[in-house]
Amino acid sequence: MTFKEDFKTRLKIAKSKIKKNSLPETEKRGFLMGNAFKLGTELIAAVLVGTIIGFILDGWFGTKPWLMIIFFFLGAAAGLLNVIRAANKMQKDN
Amino acid sequence: MASNPMEQFSVYKIGPEIKIGGIDLSFTNASLFMVISAVAISLFLYLGTKQKKIIPDKIQLISEMLYGFVAKMISDTAGSKAKPYFPFIFSLFMFVLLCNMIGMLPYAFTVTSHIIVTLIMALFIFIAVTIIGFLKHGFKYLNIFVPSGVPTILLPLITIIEIISYLSRPVSLSVRLFANMMAGHTMLKVFGGFVISLGLLGGWLPLSFSVALTGLEILVAFLQAYVFAILTCIYLNDALNLHH
Repeated sequence: MTFKEDFKTRLKIAKSKIKKNSLPETEKRGFLMGNAFKLGTELIAAVLVGTIIGFILDGWFGTKPWLMIIFFFLGAAAGLLNVIRAANKMQKDN
Repeated sequence: MASNPMEQFSVYKIGPEIKIGGIDLSFTNASLFMVISAVAISLFLYLGTKQKKIIPDKIQLISEMLYGFVAKMISDTAGSKAKPYFPFIFSLFMFVLLCNMIGMLPYAFTVTSHIIVTLIMALFIFIAVTIIGFLKHGFKYLNIFVPSGVPTILLPLITIIEIISYLSRPVSLSVRLFANMMAGHTMLKVFGGFVISLGLLGGWLPLSFSVALTGLEILVAFLQAYVFAILTCIYLNDALNLHH
């Protein structure tokens, strides 16, 4: 076996090792925590945006407070949708 | 000694007042710390990439690690199409990271603990991503509001929900960063205040909390910069590769 081939096989072994445990445990935990931080605000932001849209539309159409109430619930639905999507993505990644 | 935990977030002018067209453009402590972050990043990366050794020294190693980290993040989340946007995401990540980290130094000001700063960054990303989406796909980009496989009766409802979900992106992006930084720094200050008020006898417990919280805050400072950058990548991915 030439030196070059020997190097290639060693490289292959090293690469497969890297793939197996690409991240050390602590680092992995850090990323998972980053994911967890994402979820909470995702939900709240959509509710907030929905309510504000409803409030503005109420001002336009003079239908206080009905559109705000409707858009509050639509915002909550959008927030749930966001969270479900984010969670699905996390599951796919891990 | 400031006893008000919110006092650390106050913005004040440094130097003369500058007013152009009725807009206050005075140099404040917030601007100062943004300049410090930007200069620190530029200097650090300049020094790190100046020598290009085969066996890197520490500063070059760290710069290369940062480059590799962001490059891997982009290729993992947004694919190869997002390569041209690397400079933008790298600058964004480094700026948020440095602002957060410099904010951890005593007597420093945390720029990212102000919602106006994070909101401007998030809105810029949001508008840029929307424009990129329309440039790449034209009016087909509107398809992201219309998921496939939904019964026609539910379609208007789902579309409204999707639009709200889309519009909530800049809000969640900015509020997340701002709230985490502000809450963390307030908590540090509160526990610091406990140490002073409880004195030599009872101050040890809050002091140990303070030490632990400082460690946690450094982790959060990094994580929030990472989350900010990775969400930008995800939004970019949605704009570049239409699939819903």
